Amino acid sequence: MTESGPETDARRIAEDARERVRFEEEVLELADQVYRVARRLVSSREEAEDLVQETYARAFRSWRSYTPGTNLRAWLFRILTNLNIDRGRREQRAPATQPLEEGDYFLYNRLEAESGGDDEERIVERLSQDGIVDALSAVPHDFRDVIVLVDIGDFTYQDAAQILDIPIGTVMSRLHRGRRILKRELASAAVGEEA
Amino acid sequence: MFNPCDKCEEVLQPFLDRELSEAEYREAEAHLDECGYCRKRYRFEERLRMYVRQAWTEEMSPDLKARLAALRTPLY
Repeated sequence: MTESGPETDARRIAEDARERVRFEEEVLELADQVYRVARRLVSSREEAEDLVQETYARAFRSWRSYTPGTNLRAWLFRILTNLNIDRGRREQRAPATQPLEEGDYFLYNRLEAESGGDDEERIVERLSQDGIVDALSAVPHDFRDVIVLVDIGDFTYQDAAQILDIPIGTVMSRLHRGRRILKRELASAAVGEEA
Repeated sequence: MFNPCDKCEEVLQPFLDRELSEAEYREAEAHLDECGYCRKRYRFEERLRMYVRQAWTEEMSPDLKARLAALRTPLY
């Protein structure tokens, strides 16, 4: 009995097709998460939809490069973030030139000074949902990518490092700095003056 | 305004992202127990994170979902 021949080939092709179908179904199940993250990586709904579509086209095309049993989510989000970087970051804003020495508590101090001692919950409630969306889109891409992956994509630092192909220390420093920029943007929107 | 507790600022991010080791986490918690200033700010940061997570996003359109499914490899 030989291992090749039309029957074995047919079996292999069928097995291959089954694996691909399973892969495609698993990837499609992640679509809502991919969209949510994409929607925060770029500023318009149209761009997010294009980005998600490109991501899926590439994922389906390169399914063989995924190793079964490894982190499919991380694999997929890596495609997403790479495509976003490839898009030339057209909407890239100039990096913040303002010094950030005020530290993490800048927003808190600002809002607290304004609100005259409300508790934390009330202080955060003063921020609007539109405000957070605008503030996030004002954060330069390198920093925003990390914030979106960790806060909205719920990835660990390790996964975010793998997805963006940067060292974990860079994830932490970008997260730290990115959140400061975010808070400064929020402060400026909430308090209504140039921060 | 200055921040009187720099030690805390250093561990603030990984603490809230649950990225500290167990020992570090306990140490940070012990500090929070005794430092009202940091406790207040940790609570604020925690709420702020929830707020960022919950930031409104419209659902993906059914049309896009259909387009994604259509990208699948035809079986035959």
